[in-house]
Amino acid sequence: MDFPILSAVTFLPLAGAILILLIRALTGAQMRPDGSEDDRVLYAGLLFSIATFVVSVVMFLSFDTSGTGYQLVEEVDWFAGVKYKMGVDGMSVLLILLTTLLTPIALIASIGSIKHRLTEYVVSFLILETFMIGVFCALDLVVFYVFFEAGLIPMFIVIGVWGGVDRIYASFKFFLYTLLGSLFMLAAVVYMYLTAGTSDVVVLEQFEFSKSAQIWLWLAFFSSFAVKLPMWPVHTWLPDAHVQAPTAGSVILAAVLLKMGGYGFLRFNLPMFPDASLFFQPFVFVVSVVAIVYASLVAWRQTDMKKLIAYSSVAHMGFVTLGIFSFTEIGVQGAIFQMLSHGLISGALFLIVGVVYDRMHTRDISAYGGLVHRMPVYASFFMLFTMANVGLPGTSGFVGEILTMVGAFQANTWAAAGAALGVIFSAVYMLTLYRRTVFGEITNPELDTIQDVNTKELICLVPLAFGTILLGILPNLIFDITRESSLHALAQMAGG
Amino acid sequence: MLPDQFIQFIVLGPGLAALIAGLFQRFIGDRGAMVVTTATVGLAGIFSLYQLFAYAAGAGGAGHVEHASLAADTGAATSYVGQHIIHLITWMDVGGFKADWAIRVDAMSIVMMAVITGVSGLVHLYSWGYMADDPHKARFFSYLSLFTFAMLMLVTADNFIQLFFGWEGVGLASYLLIGFWYHKDAPNDAAIKAFVTNRVGDFGLALGIMAVFLVFGSVEFGPVLTAIKENAEVVPLALAEAGAVREVVVPFLAWDIPALELIGVLLFIGAMGKSAQFFLHVWLPDAMEGPTPVSALIHAATMVTAGVYLVCLVSPIYEYAPFAASMIALIGAVTALYAATVGMAQNDIKRVIAYSTCSQLGYMFFAAGIGAYEAAMFHLFTHAFFKALLFLGAGSVIHGAHHEQDMRNMGGFARYMPLTYGAMMIGTIAIIGLGIPHVWGLSGFFSKDAIIETAFAAGTNGVPFAQLAFWFGIVAALLTSFYSWRLIYMTFHGPRAEPHHDEAHAHDDHGHGHHHGDPHESPLVMLIPLGVLSVGAVFGGWYFYDAFVGHDYKEFWDGAIYAAKENTVLKDKYNVPEWVFWAPLIVTVTGFVIATFTYLFNRGVGQRIADSGGPLHGLFANKWYFDELYNATLVRGSAWLGDLFKIGDKKVVDGIGPDGVASLVRWSSRRLSAMHTGYLYHYAFVIIGAALVFGAILFWRSGGAG
Repeated sequence: MDFPILSAVTFLPLAGAILILLIRALTGAQMRPDGSEDDRVLYAGLLFSIATFVVSVVMFLSFDTSGTGYQLVEEVDWFAGVKYKMGVDGMSVLLILLTTLLTPIALIASIGSIKHRLTEYVVSFLILETFMIGVFCALDLVVFYVFFEAGLIPMFIVIGVWGGVDRIYASFKFFLYTLLGSLFMLAAVVYMYLTAGTSDVVVLEQFEFSKSAQIWLWLAFFSSFAVKLPMWPVHTWLPDAHVQAPTAGSVILAAVLLKMGGYGFLRFNLPMFPDASLFFQPFVFVVSVVAIVYASLVAWRQTDMKKLIAYSSVAHMGFVTLGIFSFTEIGVQGAIFQMLSHGLISGALFLIVGVVYDRMHTRDISAYGGLVHRMPVYASFFMLFTMANVGLPGTSGFVGEILTMVGAFQANTWAAAGAALGVIFSAVYMLTLYRRTVFGEITNPELDTIQDVNTKELICLVPLAFGTILLGILPNLIFDITRESSLHALAQMAGG
Repeated sequence: MLPDQFIQFIVLGPGLAALIAGLFQRFIGDRGAMVVTTATVGLAGIFSLYQLFAYAAGAGGAGHVEHASLAADTGAATSYVGQHIIHLITWMDVGGFKADWAIRVDAMSIVMMAVITGVSGLVHLYSWGYMADDPHKARFFSYLSLFTFAMLMLVTADNFIQLFFGWEGVGLASYLLIGFWYHKDAPNDAAIKAFVTNRVGDFGLALGIMAVFLVFGSVEFGPVLTAIKENAEVVPLALAEAGAVREVVVPFLAWDIPALELIGVLLFIGAMGKSAQFFLHVWLPDAMEGPTPVSALIHAATMVTAGVYLVCLVSPIYEYAPFAASMIALIGAVTALYAATVGMAQNDIKRVIAYSTCSQLGYMFFAAGIGAYEAAMFHLFTHAFFKALLFLGAGSVIHGAHHEQDMRNMGGFARYMPLTYGAMMIGTIAIIGLGIPHVWGLSGFFSKDAIIETAFAAGTNGVPFAQLAFWFGIVAALLTSFYSWRLIYMTFHGPRAEPHHDEAHAHDDHGHGHHHGDPHESPLVMLIPLGVLSVGAVFGGWYFYDAFVGHDYKEFWDGAIYAAKENTVLKDKYNVPEWVFWAPLIVTVTGFVIATFTYLFNRGVGQRIADSGGPLHGLFANKWYFDELYNATLVRGSAWLGDLFKIGDKKVVDGIGPDGVASLVRWSSRRLSAMHTGYLYHYAFVIIGAALVFGAILFWRSGGAG
């Protein structure tokens, strides 16, 4: 057996977390004279997350982008026929890279803004990273379920401990919703294991469940992934979670955690329950279009910057489901692309909000205005990501939107037309946000002395800006990698 | 023809210059940014103009051999002989959805390249003077070059997706430049209005592109347009039966529509947004909040003509989509007349010209709608000269008058700025289309009369709305003459108005305060562009008439514009009755006479009409209340819906969802027992219970175990 590189990527952050906890247990918390914890622990965590990124790049390089099926597969018997099985295809490789890229950025963004319980904070993020990567690697239903559910806990803690004023309400809401979906999925996993006699994803993809069973199983998985994505109307946990979460938490939540929903649809719902997927297509289209239009309009009426971007995420995830359930190669490729692109853009937008939040300690849009006079560099980055979020061609935001709509148009013109309405509204809410915060005269005297982005913030923003433009101009870099996975996800649809 | 490297420089150079000016302003300074952008775009302008003249000379009979070798020389794949495509790199290629970054060179793009880089180069130069006192010069020049780049990408695209890139790219540049003075409210509002209104159009354009892909399985111009020309068999990807392309019917929303009609209407909605046609015109007057050079370049000469360009580019579609084409003719004719009526009642010098632009775009559209695409392109071409001239002239007036834009506060400027006055006179005579039929005239005469004559000819041939378009065009020509002379008289003639500043109208303010004192002539860098454009406004129409719409039009366009066999309007325009040739001249002179009597000899008549508050004047002065109507319905309606949903999220979704569950748990825990104390446990308990109940119901509904 080759070197288990997937396990290495997955568990390296966990190993780091354990090491940090051990050192902490041996030496005790290193406190500064002013009572805040020494941030060397954060740099230690950063080191591990960067190492993980490096290993994930090695993994990417050993991945054969022209190959078919799952690669780098690792398989060990676990218990009762359940295997610890890991493997990746083009889609999961890219989602893993997204995860390992965003985690260090999230940790860098935390430098200086998190003061208390820093060790626990860093450990939470590292554990979270392990679970997120695990979700994208797992090729056994039980292993997937474990990672999928376990990821809930560190995020719950990040929001509940380092969050804002209403963090308890937000974290419980987050927990409740997600748990609701999970229970259905657990039941489905048990049923599938008993029926098919295995929890191996590769085998289950070929297993033909009866049509009525498919309906139930599809619903069970759907309820879990729909909450995660989130889809309307189970989205209301997201704005609260984002508003209360610290910047780094929001970045990870928006950039990676939401993608688990779309990933789940493509990995499980489509290949395993093709008949049910077809059956529920109109339903998903309706919900997706409602999400796009509804969330865009609600985003426009927000007074809180983070809430606005959170609702914008809901709308953009509507494009993902629209593309996936168009059952066309274009739509599915577009959906995967949209997930990656949204990871970069929404992550960056939450960082953008974090920059001014760190300085002003408010997310209220009306507290800002005229930032361009003091923060020209910041204004430029903000403009770039605003335009990317609006889906301007030349940025990655455009490619995902247009392809998912083109895919949807072939399935249902209503769905495509409804989604295209969202393209109008996205311009309304993003440009309104930009105008109120960045343009105009400075009316709030506290803004007079606000500083432009510093080096730390530049380090966070530049890679995301670079990625957004690169993928906007040369999206084929991605499509060449995800082609096989999207065809694979659709293979059963055509056959069934 | 130009070698590929030169063409790549023309298209990509301005983009590179914009990047350098934008990113490295810190190192090269304002002056460096201005030099880099102006030199690049100016050079591109010289190349493009050379290309146009060489091409036109080649197309004119003798040079035809050289011209035919266009494709052979370069050896690249072409879909028709007069087209040469430079493929740069693949943009996206997904499941047959293929789009390259490419540069398409044919008659259409050669004309557009010359217009864009020519005007843009002059506007860059002009801005050295106009923006001299502005603190953000590097940003301004960077945006100008960015716009030029995006516009060039638009017109040289070989597929709908790159066209869309340019389309939205010019929208971005327009947004940034309208809101250039971002510290003020009015430019910010206008910028957002422009972007969002354009997005409404883009909604149609995007759906149109999706429909194109559905029907043809391609978004590249070559295969799509060739299929229509040859009425080839197409196999739609879904939803529709295969068949000859002109017969294919596709379902869209609740209707079954012939594919070409559907595509035609949707693409035209995009064109309406970009070209400010009736219903989607509301952003253009407000866009005058931007600096005046921007108005000249983007909102007169180039960007707003992108819609006309698109319609002409896909002429095969409209040749076989009579409904869509008649819609274009109708909307165009209505816009031509509507905007002219509003233009008569405006007092802001830039807004008069803005409505004039809107009206002239209407002419171009109805020309295209009745099948005279060549005439539409010709008017686009000449209009670029005289409208840029008028705007830059107005800018010179505003500059010289210390940022005064209200014509009521002007008057008698001719003696302070004689050169500007001369340029404005040339622009005015060109736009009203003065000329002696069969003899000679200024550029507007050639192009506008070509449109009016083809409209009449098409009307005789029974083309829908052509007759209406002809009459609307005649009336609009009268109004055009009237408002253009009104502008000249109010600004340059009569006694000088008492200098007083009405803040509401003093928009074009650089933020360095008002200087008082006499108006003055503008510096040389601003006058040179006026001079060059004047030459174009005088001779452009005469020089290019034969190539664009005259005897050589077939050779000149060389397949870039397509006309069905039945469409002969361009030839029929020679056979119209004699009075049709003279009608434009008669109404033009009438308009001139009326304006002269009301605004020159009896200054004050216009003011008295305005003050009397007649309903017609009120309607015109308030732009037919479109802004009010849209505000009351669309804007307020969406806001209301947004607020409703926002409350709904909190009250309904959360109320039934988590908050409801929470309060249910709280209630039941109080009621049932004090056994449970852990909060999470409560929640989980209720959820599991609910899951069981829910599952049981579904189980029972599906017929149970049996």
